[in-house]
Amino acid sequence: MLGFAKGLGFTLKKLTEKSVTHKYPDVPYPFPPRFRGIQHFSPEKCIVCNQCARICPTECIQLTGKSHPDPEKKGKIIDTYDINFEICILCDLCTEVCPTEAIVMTNNFELSTYSRDELFKNLKWLDDNNTNVREEN
Amino acid sequence: MNLSLPEELTGKTGLRTEEMILNVGPQHPSTHGVFRLVAKIDGETIKEAIPVMGYLHRGTEKLAENLTYTQIIPYTDRLDYLASMTNNYVFCHAVETMMGLEIPDRAEYLRVIVMELQRIASHFVWWGTYLLDIGAIGPFLYAFRDRETIIELFAELSGARLTYNYMRIGGVKWDAPPGWIDKVSEFVQYMKKELDNYHRLVSGNEIFVNRLTGVGTYSREMALDYSLSGVMLRCTGEKWDLRKDEPYSIYDRFDFDVPTSTDGDCMARYHLRLEEIVQSLRIVEQAVAQFPKDGEIMGKVPRVIRPPAGETFVRIEAPRGELGVYIASQGKDKPWRMKLRRPSFVNLQILPDLLRGENISNMIAILGSIDIVVGEVDA
Ligand code: SF4
Ligand code: SF4
Repeated sequence: MLGFAKGLGFTLKKLTEKSVTHKYPDVPYPFPPRFRGIQHFSPEKCIVCNQCARICPTECIQLTGKSHPDPEKKGKIIDTYDINFEICILCDLCTEVCPTEAIVMTNNFELSTYSRDELFKNLKWLDDNNTNVREEN
Repeated sequence: MNLSLPEELTGKTGLRTEEMILNVGPQHPSTHGVFRLVAKIDGETIKEAIPVMGYLHRGTEKLAENLTYTQIIPYTDRLDYLASMTNNYVFCHAVETMMGLEIPDRAEYLRVIVMELQRIASHFVWWGTYLLDIGAIGPFLYAFRDRETIIELFAELSGARLTYNYMRIGGVKWDAPPGWIDKVSEFVQYMKKELDNYHRLVSGNEIFVNRLTGVGTYSREMALDYSLSGVMLRCTGEKWDLRKDEPYSIYDRFDFDVPTSTDGDCMARYHLRLEEIVQSLRIVEQAVAQFPKDGEIMGKVPRVIRPPAGETFVRIEAPRGELGVYIASQGKDKPWRMKLRRPSFVNLQILPDLLRGENISNMIAILGSIDIVVGEVDA
C-alpha cells in the first residue's frame, strides 16, 4: 500500500497551498489584451467595402450603405449594420480584414441574455459598445 | 421450493437470467460528449457493444465546400476541440503544400510551440477525465490547474481560450507578445518537476494499477488491421510517429523519443500519454531555445488563396493519432472537396471488439483509454 500512501501524502501536503481558483463573478476576470469579446463598430470610419460581411464564415454580418449626403463627396456611408450574435463565433476574421478598423474587438464578454432577440445587435448598440476596445486589431 | 420452470432455464442456481440491452449515453458523463453505446449484456458480461455516433455531426466537410480557405480555419477549431492548434495546422499545411508556400522560420517555431503545448493540454484533459471516469476525483483538479496555465498562454497569444483560429495559410496571425516566450519556458521548467507529482498521486496507487493492468488488451496485428494510430498504436509496440517518420514543419530539428510499450493494455496507454507529455516538453524547451530573435510571421501569400487544380493529402501527428486532410481543388477560392481523416473516429472502431466478453465494469475504463473527442468522431 506504499503507492497509495504516497498519493495520500501528496494530497495532504497540497491542503495548505494557496487556492488557484478565481472569484469570478464577484471579482471581474481580467482577460489578456488580445481577447476577443463582442465587437465595437464606429460608423464614421466605415467605408462600406463589404469585406467584413464577405469574410464572415457564419454570415452573421448584414450591412447596407447609402450614398454620401454631401454630393461633393464620392463613396458611400454606412446605413445599417447588424451582427447576429446567435451565430457569431468570435473568430476575429471581420476585424482582421477591415481596412479602416471600423469594426474592432472589445474585451466585453458577458453576452448571455434572456431572449434570443436581444442577441441581434444593431449599429447603435455596436457603436455604444465602446468600452474596453482592443488596441491591436 | 417447487419451480415449474424447466432445468435449462433455471440452471443450477435456480435463478432465471436473460440478456438485456443497456443503453449508455448519448447523455452520459463518461462518453465525453454525445456518444451512445448500446450494449447487450448477459449478467455482467458484455455480449456485444454497438457504438452509435453522429449526434455531434455538423457536416464540416460539406460546409467547407462553400467556404473560402481562410474561412474554413475556424471550423477546424471545432473538430477536435481539445487540440484546435493541431487542427488549424493540418489544414493550413494542406493548403500550403498545394500552393508550394514558404513559411517563415519564426512562424514555424510558433506553430511547433503551440502544437506541442496543445498536445500537453490535451493529454492533461485525458488524464484528468480518465481518472474521473474510473473513480478518482482529485487528479482532475490538478490536471485542469496545469492545463489552465497553457490555456492562459494561448489566450494571451491568440485571444481565445479554446477556439483559437490562430494559424493562417502562410503563417500565424499573431506574433508572440513580449514576455510570452519566457512564460512558456517557465511553464516547461515547472511542468518537468510537477509531472513527478502526477506519478506520485496516481501511477503508483495499487488500486489504480490493479484496476487497469491487463484490461483492454489487443495485439499489434489487430491495431494495424484497424489502422489505429497515435498512442493506441504505439501501446502495442509499433513505433510509428509522423513527427519522426515523416517529419513535417520543422520537427526534424528537434531531439525527442517516441515512447512505445508492448503491453497493449490500458495501463500501457496511460503511461505512454504521460511519457508523451515529457517528450513534448522537451520539444518545447528546444524550440524556445532556438526561437528566432526576429523575422516575419507571415510568408508571401497571394491576396486571394486559390490553390492550383489538383489534389493533396497531408497528415500529421495529432494528440490522438494520425490526423489527415485531403483537399481536391479545381483552382477556385473554395475547395471542391475536403475530407478529414480523424484519428478519434478511426481509433473508436476497435471498441466493439475490445468490449466483447468483457465485464461491464471495464466498459468505461476501455472507452476512456481510447481517448476520443466526440467533435472529431462526428466531424
Ligand atoms: S467574429 Fe467571425 S463570426 Fe463574428 S462577425 Fe466577425 S467574422 Fe463573423
Ligand atoms: S470591412 Fe470595415 S470598412 Fe469594410 S464594410 Fe466592414 S466595417 Fe466597414
